[in-house]
Amino acid sequence: MNYAERMARLVARKIEQTKAKQERLGSRDEDDYGLVLPPENFKVDLPVRDAAGQWSGPRSWALNFRWLMENHPCYIDPDDAIAGRWMFMLSRMRLGYQLSRSNFAFDYSHLEPIQRKYDITTGIGKDAHFAPDYQIGLDLGWGGLLEKVRAAKRRFAEDAYAVELMESEEMAIVGIMAWIRRLAAAADDRAMTEDDPVRRANLLEMARVCNKIADARPDTFREVVQWIAIFNMASRTYNRDGAGGQLDEMLRPYYERDKAKGVLTDDDAEFLCFCLLLNDPHYYQIGGPTGDGTDQTSRMSYIILEAAAKLKSSCNLTIRVWDGMDRGLFRRGVEILLANRLGYPRFSGDKALVEGFMKNGYSAELARKRIAVGCNWMSLPGMEYTLNDVVKINIAKVFEVAFAESGSLAELEENYRRHFKAAVEITAKGIDFHLEHQYLNEPELLLNLVSHGPIEKGKDVSHGGAMYYNMAIDGAGLAVVADSFGALEQRISVEGALTFEEVKNAVLADFAGEEGERVRRLLDSSGRYGAGGTSADRWAMKLTEILNSEIANHVTPDGFKLIPGWFTWADTLRFGKVVGATPNGRKAGEPISHGANPLPGFRKDGALTAMAAAVASVQPGYGNTAPWQLEVDIGLADEPDAADKLMALIDGHFRLGGTLVNINVVDAEKIVEAHKDPSKYPDLIVRVTGFTAYFNSLSPAFRELVVKRLVKERI
Amino acid sequence: MSGTVFDIRRGVSKDGPGLRTCVFLKGCPLRCVWCHNPESQSAEIERAVTTDEVCGRIMSAGEVMAEVRRDAVFYDSSGGGVTFTGGEPMMQADFLFALASAAHADGIHVAVDTSGFAPWAAFERMLPVVDLFLYDLKCIDSGRHRELTGVENRLVLENLLRLDIAGAKIWIRCPLVPGLNDSDGDLAALKEFVRRLRNMEKLEICPYHQLGIEKYAKFGKPLLYGNRNSASGKDVERWNRIIYCDV
Repeated sequence: MNYAERMARLVARKIEQTKAKQERLGSRDEDDYGLVLPPENFKVDLPVRDAAGQWSGPRSWALNFRWLMENHPCYIDPDDAIAGRWMFMLSRMRLGYQLSRSNFAFDYSHLEPIQRKYDITTGIGKDAHFAPDYQIGLDLGWGGLLEKVRAAKRRFAEDAYAVELMESEEMAIVGIMAWIRRLAAAADDRAMTEDDPVRRANLLEMARVCNKIADARPDTFREVVQWIAIFNMASRTYNRDGAGGQLDEMLRPYYERDKAKGVLTDDDAEFLCFCLLLNDPHYYQIGGPTGDGTDQTSRMSYIILEAAAKLKSSCNLTIRVWDGMDRGLFRRGVEILLANRLGYPRFSGDKALVEGFMKNGYSAELARKRIAVGCNWMSLPGMEYTLNDVVKINIAKVFEVAFAESGSLAELEENYRRHFKAAVEITAKGIDFHLEHQYLNEPELLLNLVSHGPIEKGKDVSHGGAMYYNMAIDGAGLAVVADSFGALEQRISVEGALTFEEVKNAVLADFAGEEGERVRRLLDSSGRYGAGGTSADRWAMKLTEILNSEIANHVTPDGFKLIPGWFTWADTLRFGKVVGATPNGRKAGEPISHGANPLPGFRKDGALTAMAAAVASVQPGYGNTAPWQLEVDIGLADEPDAADKLMALIDGHFRLGGTLVNINVVDAEKIVEAHKDPSKYPDLIVRVTGFTAYFNSLSPAFRELVVKRLVKERI
Repeated sequence: MSGTVFDIRRGVSKDGPGLRTCVFLKGCPLRCVWCHNPESQSAEIERAVTTDEVCGRIMSAGEVMAEVRRDAVFYDSSGGGVTFTGGEPMMQADFLFALASAAHADGIHVAVDTSGFAPWAAFERMLPVVDLFLYDLKCIDSGRHRELTGVENRLVLENLLRLDIAGAKIWIRCPLVPGLNDSDGDLAALKEFVRRLRNMEKLEICPYHQLGIEKYAKFGKPLLYGNRNSASGKDVERWNRIIYCDV
């Protein structure tokens, strides 16, 4: 039995698991996350819950987490090199949990009226969304981490919170250690009944690895891979954390050591990476510069990339593109993207990211270490707390508020600026509120362990434990607002085809009636953001200036640094529902635009270069991203230079200042077919936004959006 | 300097090397029976009869170049540039010269997609500012050429040989229509002719497709050759076999 056969069986099981998840959980417009369903008869009986189904504070979280770990079903697959799969998300088990609004133990109703007015996604109570430094755990092992928190508890004996936090960390670790030991026992048990000698040997090795790393630090390549997977699964179980790290550099020393000893082949390493990526679609970066500016592409980078190519499942791997890079890695990544059409790898643009982050006052060395480990976001592993991708201002809502108060375009601009400023102010107050209370609401028990500071200082990472605080605020709805301003300028100010009053009446009436529809058509057919040289293009850049003028190099009232970006995540539907009709011809409740992208139909020719240039032109440029989400339909045919062209397109976008490119290379006909009958294509994977997902697990409304986004252009 | 343009497309990868902007100049002296851009034939601005679409607008060279320059970074990253096509771009020779000169001065790679049906003097003038000619060869037999395009091909073939002698880079493009210009004899003659060219870098087959057919009705033009089927995979396979076996 060879690796290819094992991989094929593992992928087939993954598809079955996805189908089962969909049947039990329904559609979910989210990442696949890699979780599997618990056995049907498994009952979660958390020890701490109040009458309202809530809990908060380190000890409560730790007790509940420890219970989950100590009782967590032990998933063992004899074909897999890794023991375990994760099944529960503790952070979603508090009663009344909503993805758009976290449970929070502290009252912020004094902020809510204005937050609602501007449809702010506040981030209050949001967890994770910053990156771990796995090396801390790999160097110490669970036993070493336990010693470290116990020593800290003794050191901070006078600080009641620190003591509770460290005791909670202890409980979390003890729970994880117990789970790993149970995994070892389960693998051993399974080995007894396994007839196939290869699988049996695999199960026995799995048991040995787990027994060792339950306490001791991992030494071999396989032990390291299992350690990372255990951390990922435990951290997911705690609060969905999905940030990975610079995977090639993390694994390289162990790979080289085992290779030199003759105990690991490249095929072994590839299979182990395959299993790690299959276990959980965490966000990893490969390639890119080291802190001192030398290329860190290695044989390991290629092994990971080839493992991802064979995975053919949900995967979030990013290749960092930069001037000094091994272009072979870039090319191979593009070839895989084109051949597999699974939406990965993605590509990040080093130049703009580094130059941008340095504008916040950081060194080039630090800026190079800030890597792609999230949906739209970069983070300094183990050093930075950010609330990345969970704080958003729906600028379509801000525009709506301003529009209702305005009688002319000039007045509208002034009102927009004023309301946007107010929206940022309330958002910043929300961030402060979160930073003030989150450590008591939901401490980061898992990520604290692999951060530089929390254990050393006896403080939760959200409350003084981190080295740096760079709080993200993303704008959402750029194209809708740019096109709205653009349409008003073109049809009213330039052409005189409509008056402001006519437009206002039509918009407020949701374009009802014949006259409304006439006005809507005129607005809808005006020059769009993305076409190049239109009023809307100029407005998109102006909106970025306004975004920067209120956020970049600003701090919250409590003094935390803010960094701007443009991103909607998968929330285009939700954001759209709360916004009435807009002067770009959009009707009330329709979705808003995606990230920094122009709206579909922005140019007759759908030119990819035009889109690349447009998205580059609206980059805030402070180290956070405004990703370009690109759907390319490429026929099966005969495009021998497709990789060259796609590389040129990505290169050009990055030269213009682009930061991150998410690409779907899809068969449009297949997507349309799959939308009609998702069961026909159970293995179809699309890049929804920063994450990839099985197409058939998305909701019909969201699938519709993906279909609309398709650009039917050949590269 | 201004001229009549009927479309500008960005990010095109089919008309020359790399990623390109294609500028479509209006007006063509030929009336190819298979033409898939019938709205490009007249030099005048036209209004569609079935929609409110207008084909063609007067643009200054500066306006066109502003569009062309938008993708300069992608020309650089892909080895692309601008392609002037049509219609027949040589019909607006002065405008084309102004555009090609401006692009050339900017260091942008310039391709001209031509039927070859224009006075030699116009081509000669273009030589210093054009990097590549995408040159159509539709049929080597002059009589048949006239039947299919409305003009004889003596000038076309002469200009091609002269461009070749002058050292211009040439990509030959053969629009092939099943049953019209793809007989064994047609293809043998084509091969024989291109053997004489020293500076031909490439020979591309452009299989006939039906994509432009609805535009005839839209712009109120009679279909010159009826509703023919697009070239099949079998046709293309045969053409490839015959043309590329020893070119």
